[in-house]
Amino acid sequence: MLRTPGRVAGVVIIVGFAVMGLIGPWIYPHNLPVNANAIYAGPSLAHPLGTDFEGTDVLALLVTGARYVLLSALIAGLVAVVVGTTIGLVAGYLRGLTDLGLSRFTDFALTVPGIPLLVVLSTVYRFTSPYMMGVVLGLTGWGGLARAVRSQALSLRERPYLEAARGLGLPLRHILWRELLPNIAPYVAMNLLLAVIGSIYAETGLFFLGVLPAQVNNWGVMLNLAVFSAGAIGSPQALTYLLAPLVSILLLTLGIVLLLDAVDEIFNPRLRTL
Amino acid sequence: MRRRQSRDTASETAAGNEDGFEGLRVRDLTIVYGTEAGELAAVRGVDLDLPAGTITGLVGESGSGKSTLALAMLNAVPSPGRITAGSVTMSGVGDITRLRGRALRQVRGGVLGYVFQASQNSLNPLKRVGAQLLDLARSHGVAQPRLILGEAAKLCERMGLDATRVLSSYQHELSGGMRQRVGIVFALVLNAKVLILDEPTTALDMLSQAAVLEVVREIHAERRLATVIITHDIAVVAEMADRMVVTYAGRVVESGTAGDVLRYAAHPYTKALLRSIPRISGDISAAEPLPGRPPDLASIPTVGCVFRERCPLAMPICSDVDPATVSVGPGHTTACHLAAGPLAVPEQSEEVAG
Amino acid sequence: MVSASPPIAEPQSTGRRADARKRRLIGVGRRLGARIVAALVMIWAVATLTFFLVHALPGNPVQVQYETLLSHGVPPAQALKETRIIYGFVSHEPVVNQYGSYLWQLLHLNLGQSISYSGVSVSHLVLAAAPWTVILVLSGLVVSFLLGVLAGAVAAVRRTSKLGDLLSISGSLLHGIPQFVMAVLLAYVFTTLLPVFPFGAPYDITVIPGWNLAYIGSLVSHAVLPVFAYALSSYGGWMLSMKSSVVSVLGDDFVLAAELRGLKPLTQLRYVARNALLPLFTVFALSIGFMFGGSIFIEDVFDYPGLGHLLLSSISARDYPLMSGTFLLITVAVILSNLLADLLYTFIDPRVRGQAS
Repeated sequence: MLRTPGRVAGVVIIVGFAVMGLIGPWIYPHNLPVNANAIYAGPSLAHPLGTDFEGTDVLALLVTGARYVLLSALIAGLVAVVVGTTIGLVAGYLRGLTDLGLSRFTDFALTVPGIPLLVVLSTVYRFTSPYMMGVVLGLTGWGGLARAVRSQALSLRERPYLEAARGLGLPLRHILWRELLPNIAPYVAMNLLLAVIGSIYAETGLFFLGVLPAQVNNWGVMLNLAVFSAGAIGSPQALTYLLAPLVSILLLTLGIVLLLDAVDEIFNPRLRTL
Repeated sequence: MRRRQSRDTASETAAGNEDGFEGLRVRDLTIVYGTEAGELAAVRGVDLDLPAGTITGLVGESGSGKSTLALAMLNAVPSPGRITAGSVTMSGVGDITRLRGRALRQVRGGVLGYVFQASQNSLNPLKRVGAQLLDLARSHGVAQPRLILGEAAKLCERMGLDATRVLSSYQHELSGGMRQRVGIVFALVLNAKVLILDEPTTALDMLSQAAVLEVVREIHAERRLATVIITHDIAVVAEMADRMVVTYAGRVVESGTAGDVLRYAAHPYTKALLRSIPRISGDISAAEPLPGRPPDLASIPTVGCVFRERCPLAMPICSDVDPATVSVGPGHTTACHLAAGPLAVPEQSEEVAG
Repeated sequence: MVSASPPIAEPQSTGRRADARKRRLIGVGRRLGARIVAALVMIWAVATLTFFLVHALPGNPVQVQYETLLSHGVPPAQALKETRIIYGFVSHEPVVNQYGSYLWQLLHLNLGQSISYSGVSVSHLVLAAAPWTVILVLSGLVVSFLLGVLAGAVAAVRRTSKLGDLLSISGSLLHGIPQFVMAVLLAYVFTTLLPVFPFGAPYDITVIPGWNLAYIGSLVSHAVLPVFAYALSSYGGWMLSMKSSVVSVLGDDFVLAAELRGLKPLTQLRYVARNALLPLFTVFALSIGFMFGGSIFIEDVFDYPGLGHLLLSSISARDYPLMSGTFLLITVAVILSNLLADLLYTFIDPRVRGQAS
């Protein structure tokens, strides 16, 4: 799995961010210090990534912001995959009216555009908790996976071994989770990672839009303050402040994409032999 | 049908038929595939005559190089394969392996009609059959492309197809048997001289097979085509072919009239192949499967007989010396050390009955 | 899948052919009808969702609106009437009646009245904002589609060359950059670090809107960055899907067949291109729907007064009728373009047409 340098880099990036998320809130105080004498300071030993509009250390903001981003994205990915896989499997395997109902429901979930819906939902819920954020993100992002899993289940159910399982009268639960799921597991694993990427974009994007409370520490909040409140976008000195959250988002995505590549190769025998 | 012949093809015409041979002639053809393991020969030193008016059956297991050979006749060996030696000479055209660009394109689908192994899906799914025939005509510089539709309609009716319906259909509206027949129409509509059928019957049921082959035989005779049927199905060859060529691991191991090869098979591989066929009348257990597997590209021996690994009669000489092609009867040759015994006459000339 | 035909001739009278054509037309008609009904059901479902979202809002804004009116000295009957104009329903009735009242208003294309722009109907505001979004995203969509399809085709045909690798990498990289990151980066680089383009607002406040060169020039120069932010962030998707589509079509038997039948290179190219583009056209039609809500980040960064901007400002102004109206319109646009994509597919793919009967 770790044969190529790319994948090593991917794992290193993800582990690095995970460590940031785990220990960040411990090594920095809850309220990060401000310094009126060092506003938009450039990179230095004391502030490796410079400071923001209040003179707060950008690296500290980045590190303490990682936990929310990672935690909610992971939860969102898990929720989306569990919901999407279950609905897809049940619809594709049972067919008939169940399929019709679930497929219409999936169509509906796919039709309502995600970001506008989340923006509207933000008036109903305050997403101060990363758990809540993750669950809501997951519940809005399972449609595509459900549709894909359904079509796979539709084709798998015609396989002889599944016909045999049906003939033996095995319970539905057994057929769905023991016979069908293992066959689509690689696909589901890859979709988990894709859902995590999507969730990172969605949540940082939402915080960036400023429709969510800015009390939490999050890369999206950093970016929102930088662009809309602090005017960093118009100030060349704010380069590191502005770039830090952007680069973090891209770097984290890159790490997951590299991991995705590894997962793809592990599960895809066709690629493995090449 | 008017075919515009480029100057390129015309200039080589003279070279093609000096000896008055009419048809397609393959000489010493070698095709190699460039792989990570080096250059591997898929076809080596093949000589083959496809005279006009003769149906030749090209037989071998899958992987014996017969499809590569067929594609080479159109100079269309897929990359990373390429023709490294030899020639494919068409009377009136010249060496096809030397043709490039427009000249090559004119030969393909023109003089050389090719019916695909996957003829089931050989049509553009988004265009009606008639429109694709017009594309064919335009590509080949037919003066009045619309006339080709009349020609195609005649061929369709011959094949038992409702021409008006077929020409206005999309591929998905035709059944497997109909598509196969449409594939033959495409191959013949520009008055091909050589008809190459690659596994023409694999996707068809027995009744469709018989009907398709019957029509091919009729048109072949009418137009005095040089027809080659590439197949692993000996029954098709027995039914259709005048001559039979057996290939193994990219080599021709035996060739002769279909009757001779079937009755007096000389090469151990041919014998084994014939023994492996179950007969309708008779004991099914009498059919003996061929032991072992055909070699893949990387494991084909480069020196000696290619069949020796699976040959029940292999001798020490088989691993060291390439067997020469020797005559074992009139127009019947084989490449086997056993046949090259005292009784065998070294091959002199390949006299072929039309 | 493919049923083999009997070897005998298959006679088919002209009458039967006409019958088949009629059946096919009826099939297409039925499919069309079913799709339209499905779209209407979907719109109803979205309207229901919107209704309950407004209902779930914390602090019952409908009741608050009514009470505010009362406190301003408006008589109760009048206050009820005005609240009903604003939200489409009042909170004094049972939920079923509220819901019925809301749907009844929607049926008359009445989205309620804005609070922050007091007295202006939501439909009016939404329709004024929509063109900005449409122009912005449609140009971005077209630019990215053309670039992506071209690059994807080249990457597929030259996939073993350096150029192919380079194009594929460009696609994957850009595909991985979220829209708001792209927008912020472009804005920062081209308005602050290298100030070559103006920042914010759809045109300079100094020019007078109208058919004059100054206004149009200003519109264009202000649109360059937002359009490119949209185009660059969707380029990767087009490029990668076109590449995989071309690669898969190139492996199809009919492409080899076309080559071995000696078709002109241009004809072969047309065969491949049409088959490879087919699945992309549907995605394109789908994107048209998502464009109404898809440019929210870009409109926000570049202060572009489109629908996304309207949605965001309605939320910060707690203008809930405007919020739900904008959201509803954005979603209905998606549903309608799904319908369009579906019909388009029926129209351009003969195989789907065949299935319809």
